[in-house]
Amino acid sequence: MAGGYRGYKYFEAIEKRAGLLGILTAIMVSLGGLAEITPIFMAAHEVKPALGVKPYDALRLAGKDIYVREGCYLCHSQMIRALRAETERYGPFSTAEESVYDRPHQWGSKRTGPDLARVGGKYSDEWQRQHLRDPRSVVPESNMPSYPWLAQALVDGDDIAARMRTLRFLGDPYSDADIAGAKAAVSGQTELDAVVAYLQGLGIANEPTNAKPQQAAP
Amino acid sequence: MSPFWSGWIMFLIVFNLGITLFLFLWGPRVKIPTLPDGTTGHVWAHGVLREGMNRLPLWWIVMSGAMFVIGFAYLYLYPGFGSSKGSLGWTSHKQLAQDTAANRAKLDPILAGFAGKPVDALAADSTATRMGERLFIDNCAACHGREGHGNRVIGAPNLIDATWIYGGDGATLLTSILDGRHGTMPPFSSSLDKAAIENLANYVLSLSGRDHSPAKAKLGAENFAVCAACHGPTGTGNPALGAPNLTTADELYGRDLATIEQTIRNGRSGVMPAWRTRLTDTDARLIAAWVYARSHANAAH
Repeated sequence: MAGGYRGYKYFEAIEKRAGLLGILTAIMVSLGGLAEITPIFMAAHEVKPALGVKPYDALRLAGKDIYVREGCYLCHSQMIRALRAETERYGPFSTAEESVYDRPHQWGSKRTGPDLARVGGKYSDEWQRQHLRDPRSVVPESNMPSYPWLAQALVDGDDIAARMRTLRFLGDPYSDADIAGAKAAVSGQTELDAVVAYLQGLGIANEPTNAKPQQAAP
Repeated sequence: MSPFWSGWIMFLIVFNLGITLFLFLWGPRVKIPTLPDGTTGHVWAHGVLREGMNRLPLWWIVMSGAMFVIGFAYLYLYPGFGSSKGSLGWTSHKQLAQDTAANRAKLDPILAGFAGKPVDALAADSTATRMGERLFIDNCAACHGREGHGNRVIGAPNLIDATWIYGGDGATLLTSILDGRHGTMPPFSSSLDKAAIENLANYVLSLSGRDHSPAKAKLGAENFAVCAACHGPTGTGNPALGAPNLTTADELYGRDLATIEQTIRNGRSGVMPAWRTRLTDTDARLIAAWVYARSHANAAH
């Protein structure tokens, strides 16, 4: 066989062996993911909370978990992208440092409703309550479902304390006093109270304060 | 980005583009042994399907070549090759700053003409009120409705009628928008019994001339002294306290007996958030101008 055919045997070896072809294809296809996802995935563990960003207090933590339970993230993102159309409507773009205490994060990639990253304080508590009970009573064209059951269920204080212990185990800086006081903090509060407290803190309680150089005392 | 991860990305890019570019350039040159009938001898389905030796279509070669050119150009111009910043120095944050600056360059000269102007003067300017309406829909409509009619469910006042709680002049509108309002009425369920509340509610209805029981209203009038502290002896309200005028037909929460009884029994807490951190002073003036224009146009009718 002439020398010009030399390379062909490698080509033939791959083409004739479906298993080898599959493995090599998988390697080539995964290169993009290895280059784009792995470094950012590893960097995510190094993100430190910005100054002013604190872990959720007991009531807001309960609200966050109800937000996740009810699937709010399916329609609402909490990530304002660095695009003018978004910063004009929702405020300054979101940063990773703001959501270090969100487990899991609520960034989202799809919006049916508006982004909620900075919705805290935009509406009154009463508006938020009414809007969760019956969205169309305040926004006639809304297609958001009603969540009337939230007002009928109380937050379980022992459960929240247990969750805070778990989060502390994962590295969130809760103090013993925070955990001991959790039950009292949510005592008598409904799930609706918790969700409203959570929403009203978004973009406010987790807002990074601009770090200014500390003046040493003379 | 750490040197390790930068190197990791560079390695993967070089490896990937290297292999594909090599195959792209080398593949067409490889001599493939053929049988006398011009096929490679690869057969499927017992010889029914045989592999021929057609050249790659030109469109495929052109598109693949373009992919390499675009890929290399992208990695040269934009951040992508490890920690390389790209020759353009592009970042999404710079892009945002540019887009915002370009928009401000268009918007600022128009807004500059409105800055600091009295609300009633802006209300006569159709450009100002058109911009104000847009801002109102974006920011205020969730509570006050797209047309500004208000919403009794949450006690958001109607803004386009002639009735005002705190005042409808330009300066007061501006204060309401920028600093927000918190109107509170205490609950009276502990100091008044059920009958007394019903009587008092009938009296309140009588103040604005709506359907009521005159006998009950007469009894209720005796208890109105406690209401007069905020709503005034004749029920005309007090803008300084945000106590609504009870003699008009407009009701914040509803105009029926049951709602007024509920208000007396449980009290009310109506909150308008402060918009100072979300709106600029000029934005607030434009919104106030639209509200001012609408309410005055309606009052004139």
